[in-house]
Amino acid sequence: REIVVLTSSISSRVLLFLFSHSVIPNCQFRSKTSRLKTFTANQLDEIKDPSGLFYILPFQKGYLVNWDVQRKVWDHLFGKEMFKVDFADTSVVITEPYFNFTSIQESMNEILFEEYQFQAALRINAGSLSAHRYFQMNNQELCCIVVDSGFSFTHIVPYCRGKKMKDGICRINVGGKLLTNHLKEIISYRQLHVMDETHVINQVKEDVCYVSQDFYKDMDIAQLKGEDNTVMRDYVLPDFSSIKKGFCKPREEMNFTGKYKTGEQILRLANERFAVPEMLFHPSDIGIHEIGIPEALVNSINNMPEEMQPHFYKNIVLTGGNTLFPGFRDRVYKEVRSLTPTDFQVSVLQPPNPISYPWEGGKLLAENPDFDEMVVTREDYEENGHFICEEKFDI
Amino acid sequence: TACCSSSARISRSVTLVTVRGKVKTHHLRSQDPGQRRVLDCATRQRRLTRQLEALEKDNFQDDPHASLPQLAKRLPQFDDSNESGKKRKKTRGDHFKLRFRKNFQALLEEEELSGNEGPNYLTACAEPSKLPQRHFCAVCGFPSPYTCISCGARYCCVRCLGTHHETRCLKWTV
Repeated sequence: REIVVLTSSISSRVLLFLFSHSVIPNCQFRSKTSRLKTFTANQLDEIKDPSGLFYILPFQKGYLVNWDVQRKVWDHLFGKEMFKVDFADTSVVITEPYFNFTSIQESMNEILFEEYQFQAALRINAGSLSAHRYFQMNNQELCCIVVDSGFSFTHIVPYCRGKKMKDGICRINVGGKLLTNHLKEIISYRQLHVMDETHVINQVKEDVCYVSQDFYKDMDIAQLKGEDNTVMRDYVLPDFSSIKKGFCKPREEMNFTGKYKTGEQILRLANERFAVPEMLFHPSDIGIHEIGIPEALVNSINNMPEEMQPHFYKNIVLTGGNTLFPGFRDRVYKEVRSLTPTDFQVSVLQPPNPISYPWEGGKLLAENPDFDEMVVTREDYEENGHFICEEKFDI
Repeated sequence: TACCSSSARISRSVTLVTVRGKVKTHHLRSQDPGQRRVLDCATRQRRLTRQLEALEKDNFQDDPHASLPQLAKRLPQFDDSNESGKKRKKTRGDHFKLRFRKNFQALLEEEELSGNEGPNYLTACAEPSKLPQRHFCAVCGFPSPYTCISCGARYCCVRCLGTHHETRCLKWTV
């Protein structure tokens, strides 16, 4: 029996499949040059000129609102061009955001069972899959707290014995989308108009940004001139003819005095490199009046029963794309450590692949003997309707 | 009158040469209050809110397909074979589609009205930080102690203030 694991909500841009363990964009694209075609999901690779790429996302603020687009993506992925899913013989594990709205949950039931007609389905939060994965590696631990920092937002969720603690769930409205848009804005004002280039600037962000361990020190270094400014980097933008993908110039090749002789388009980035990811730690830097990740971790844990608190501090797990910024894990550790009494042990884990960590949890769960008890089969749904899903799934 | 705007960025003050040949020195920071419009608190807040909302957008350009005429009924292609066996249950009519067309705002309102007690989407939102807000220059991004009197934007040095006045101040909205 085939099991398909879709973790589509960690970043609401990414969809992972069991068979090939591939990361696929969960959206459609339109390009200025290919006027007739709308590209779906991994067809992104077919686009010859991704400049000014237009994104069509099924998600809004992290919640699935546009079923037309989502169905088109799924039709493509489940169909004969891609994974050729045999629905009658397949169970699906699909992730949903925390506190997902009832009407979206019900629509999801209808689409999975009535339209696609999967044999069985399990709807679950991504963090629950991560927690399951974590407890499997650390089976002597009772509690863990999952940081899921994705495209739309960041959630801090405590788990105890596999169950999420709803009172401790904290949502910070800062995600990868905000970081990329902010970077686009500041580059557009200071250097070059890139507001239309989400795809390119997203790549810049991933290649060049990092989390500072000492914010004000890095700010001082970023103001120095010439070679003393060790923070500054030059990024070569793609022109999609000779340069297909942008890249960061190595420091040896950087020209600190005067202009480059080649015809490349260059972005010179200094404080942007670490000021952008800083928004995850201080959303107020940009005017979002919310606490950052370290403060949210401490707040969440302090809302938990006292005897559990030390266990949470020992088991902090970082998941989601934003945790991939260099220095992220060390900075979270440093900040949480300084906010916590010394008699608590603090331990922060960043798994080797934070984006597919929930997916790994889903895979484990599918292999678990209890899995059949956890899913809702199509027969269950046809007999009992939404009620049975509400009962069994803890979203 | 001639105004050396290019030198304004280098020197701390702008030198105006009037018709009568008198030289007046005008400091950028202390311009005649009557000349610059000052935005009030509510307007500033509105501008900030709009800037933040703009950061939520997926795209800043228009849909490339938007201006195309509606394509004629799609001709059948070789791909669309008659799929025997697997009968896909057609989606039910309008009721289905309406349900599936709610946007985020509508969902949120529904949630607010349902009167659910206990933790939900709204209660899960992170609270404001106890730490004071840090401010950065709107032009260069470095830490900034000063505020533009007209619009409330931050700047770090007079040079950045000059750039701000020339390019953004009261001239640009989201």
